[in-house]
Amino acid sequence: MNVLLPLAALFPLALFALSAFSPWVRQRLARLLWLAPLPGLVAALFAIDGAVTLPGPLGLALDFPGAMLLGAAALIWLAAGIAAPAFWREKLETLPYQSWWLLTMTGSLAVFMAANLVTFYLTFSLVSLAGYGLVTRDGGAAAFRAGRVYFTLAVVGEAFLLTAFVLLAVGTPSGSMAIPDVVAALPASPSRDAALVFLILGLGSKMGLVPLHVWMPPTYSAAPFPAAAVLSGAAVKAGVIGLVRFLPFSAALPGWGEALAMVGFVSAFFGVAVGLTQRNPKAVLAYSSISQMGFIAAVAGMALAAGRLAAPSELAFYALHHVFAKGGLFLALAAIATTGPRHLRPILWPAIVVALGIAGLPLTGGALAKLAVKDALGSGLAGTLGSLSAAASTILMLHFITRARTIAASDDRAEAPLAIRGAWWIAAAAALLLPWLLFPSVAGSIGKVLEVKAIFDLAWPMVLGGVAFLGWSRLSRRPELPPGDVLIVLRPAATSVRGLTDRIARAEAWITTWPVAGTLLLLLAIGFAGAMVAAR
Amino acid sequence: MTPGLMATTPGGLLLVLAVVVPVIGILALWLVRWRAIEWVAIATLAINLVVSLATLQAVRASDASLVYLVGGWMPPLGLALRADGIAAVMMVMTGAIVAVTALYARGQFGFDPHGPERRRPMVFWTMLLAITGALNLIFVGEDLFNLYVALELLTFAAVPLVSLDGSRDTLAAALRYLVFALAGSVLYLLGVAVVYGAYGTLDLVVLAEMRGADGALLLAIALMTAGLIAKTALFPLHLWLPPAHAGAPAAASAILSALVVKGSFFLILGLWFDLLPPGLGAIGANGLGMLGAGAVIVGSVLALRQERLKLLVAYSTVAQIGYLFLVFPLATGSEAASPFASLAWTGGVLQLLAHAFAKAAMFMAAGLVYEAIGHDRIAGFKGLGRIAPITVLTMTLASVSLMGLPPSGGFSAKWLMLSAALGEGAWWWAVVILAGGLLAAGYVFRILVPAFSTPEAPAERKYPVAPVRECAALVLAVIAILIGFLPLAPWPLLAIGRIAQVSP
Repeated sequence: MNVLLPLAALFPLALFALSAFSPWVRQRLARLLWLAPLPGLVAALFAIDGAVTLPGPLGLALDFPGAMLLGAAALIWLAAGIAAPAFWREKLETLPYQSWWLLTMTGSLAVFMAANLVTFYLTFSLVSLAGYGLVTRDGGAAAFRAGRVYFTLAVVGEAFLLTAFVLLAVGTPSGSMAIPDVVAALPASPSRDAALVFLILGLGSKMGLVPLHVWMPPTYSAAPFPAAAVLSGAAVKAGVIGLVRFLPFSAALPGWGEALAMVGFVSAFFGVAVGLTQRNPKAVLAYSSISQMGFIAAVAGMALAAGRLAAPSELAFYALHHVFAKGGLFLALAAIATTGPRHLRPILWPAIVVALGIAGLPLTGGALAKLAVKDALGSGLAGTLGSLSAAASTILMLHFITRARTIAASDDRAEAPLAIRGAWWIAAAAALLLPWLLFPSVAGSIGKVLEVKAIFDLAWPMVLGGVAFLGWSRLSRRPELPPGDVLIVLRPAATSVRGLTDRIARAEAWITTWPVAGTLLLLLAIGFAGAMVAAR
Repeated sequence: MTPGLMATTPGGLLLVLAVVVPVIGILALWLVRWRAIEWVAIATLAINLVVSLATLQAVRASDASLVYLVGGWMPPLGLALRADGIAAVMMVMTGAIVAVTALYARGQFGFDPHGPERRRPMVFWTMLLAITGALNLIFVGEDLFNLYVALELLTFAAVPLVSLDGSRDTLAAALRYLVFALAGSVLYLLGVAVVYGAYGTLDLVVLAEMRGADGALLLAIALMTAGLIAKTALFPLHLWLPPAHAGAPAAASAILSALVVKGSFFLILGLWFDLLPPGLGAIGANGLGMLGAGAVIVGSVLALRQERLKLLVAYSTVAQIGYLFLVFPLATGSEAASPFASLAWTGGVLQLLAHAFAKAAMFMAAGLVYEAIGHDRIAGFKGLGRIAPITVLTMTLASVSLMGLPPSGGFSAKWLMLSAALGEGAWWWAVVILAGGLLAAGYVFRILVPAFSTPEAPAERKYPVAPVRECAALVLAVIAILIGFLPLAPWPLLAIGRIAQVSP
């Protein structure tokens, strides 16, 4: 069964290679892209606890948390792959999206199976960098502007991650690069603090933790619906799997855990607050992702503070629901955008349930996700903040539903192609039902879900959020912010960077004139001679 | 004097062959009809590759340097040729890149009876062989004056390649290169004179045994280093490199950027790690590191701003040379007993190798792009992936190495150097390495994104390109990637036969 691991990673890559060189394959493949994640799905089901050493520094291994996320990601890639050809229709041939789609998918699936530092860095980079092609897929100035922000944050995040990984490796006496080994050595490593800082910065930029979130809203606003679905559903989870893999949950690090929890809760509430100022439903979903990823970081932080060994499964389970919910809601938007009022109901109603599921609507998959991480948050301040963040999410999701209705097609009888609706229903069903199947393996008896206290704990924040939303929607003047909020503050900084590079270029032009270069050569000779003789 | 070191070893004759085979090839070029020139040159380079592979094998098998005493005379009276582990690796790198370049260049420099320059094929192939011989001599040379001769041969063989098309701009670029390289030579020669005056010998092994914290030796090393960094085009002395490397024909640019600048760098390595007494180089090493850091930042920023592919690639060379010089502070800064076994040392050599293969592939790909679409303006690259998929794949793989994504030689180099920097707590060098990586990602994406995108109107290929030539470039890019599959740890091979280990 181990062969499934490399197959899952390499099958999309092989399709990419084939379609790059053969126009024949390329033309036929455009409609069959949903096939590409199938080996990943099979691997998630049948290859748990497998491990494969690949040539050189590469290696794959799959554990239960990784398998949950791999399966979920493969399924949302599959659903989006069904929707995408119907979405792009005639533009499919003239503007093929397959290369970027397949490359991003390769990284997105393989990152959950990475067994060592190098493989993780490779797959993490692949999903981030190739994602650029999906963001800018439909062209347009806004898309390329968003793409630039996305790319900048992606490479900066990778530099952080690389630093963290080198520190992890340097701090591992055995010289091993296997992830379990470096994480085991981390608590005692002399470079522990620096490694954790860069780890959180690197993963946080992928997850959109404030203030590294600025790329997410403009990117999801600019990206086509199917691309936004896979980016928000699958690609972002590369950051989550990073937290799952690299935080040393076996050792309690209260200081670091609480710091991470604080960062996470800031994102959780910031995302909701700014999300409410957005009109574009895609941007609202982006801010919801920022909020949800912040919540995951908060859970991870509290688990790290307590040294909670069950944390990897719980975090992956929570993220699994988010894969389907968030990816699915983008597919729902794709369907809503091409559906008139008459046929809207079978699309909109599941969207309402799934959206409120993100806030923890009892008996939905989202409620199970909240219950699974409840113990990790505890009953203290973090638990209360968790409930309040659910209330905040309720407000944001209600806001999302009102915004989503506004993009429905004006033609009363218009109806989205079955492929798009079907893809959305697959994702919705997975979001609502799959957590029921997996809950017993993660958090124990299913009976916990049905207890009155559990339902009450989930329900009161939602009632609170609902009331707050009613008040909010009655406000006559509501603030509006552009997607990416603090980006506007950063624009002047970008201009000054450009000014700096202009200055560097002018200086270089001066240095490379003959008299200056000749003088420099002499000065360097004298300088070296003087410095070295003096150092004696 | 260590007796074992100063006798011709079995296999020492390989070193003579490495120097003599290209020379015989050059002579043979003049004897054959012009149609056969290419084949004589290619055969010579094939033999040269075999010789260098055999040298590497012999060094590995004996776990010691190969030595050949010319005429059986021991230094300081005679001349010695010596190949240690790193020299053998360099020889194989040179042999492989030159041989593949020859396949790429075949048919590119035909006789054009009506063209402005009818001797082009003769010039190109002669210079290619001369560069090969000169580099081999630099790698196995032991005598500072002997090395000077090799260095001059390298320069004089490289300059004509720049102006092969005879246009006004390339002649100006070649002249610039020549004059600046000569200024470097003067400084080097001055250093050699100082050494000879103080020690009466120029043999590196003999000098390493006699050395002390002597002002004359330090002065000489400083002068030679200054001269050599001018020839290596280390920032801020890189004025000649971008026009020369961007103006030369693609095959020549590949050799100039991948190999020729590495020749003088190799000599600096020798001076600093073999000749300089330990513990005296800290200030100088940090100085070289700072110049390298400047090269990384300034070269990358300028690469980001170029409109044409070849200039972008040339400025990328300026930046990548900068990484090489980070070896000096990183490998001398550590308290480790032997710097040659250190992470930084292997990282530096890997950077040298990876850059050589990736950059040669990149310049060849740039040439192919030019031939395919008739220009190399980056803005006009839309649809290139459809027209020339193999070339775009080559550029992609080479770029992966240049920007340091795994698995690639560039990544391994970056990883090892970062490990050295962070392990020593010298985080400022780590910042430079990471910043260079970010900027490299930027300039690489500027090329690849349009190449992968699809144009509004289907682009058409202007001229056909021989698949062999596309594959030649691809092979080099693939090697740059494959280097990343070697273990991420110091290579014992690179420590074989280092002088400082033999005579502590």
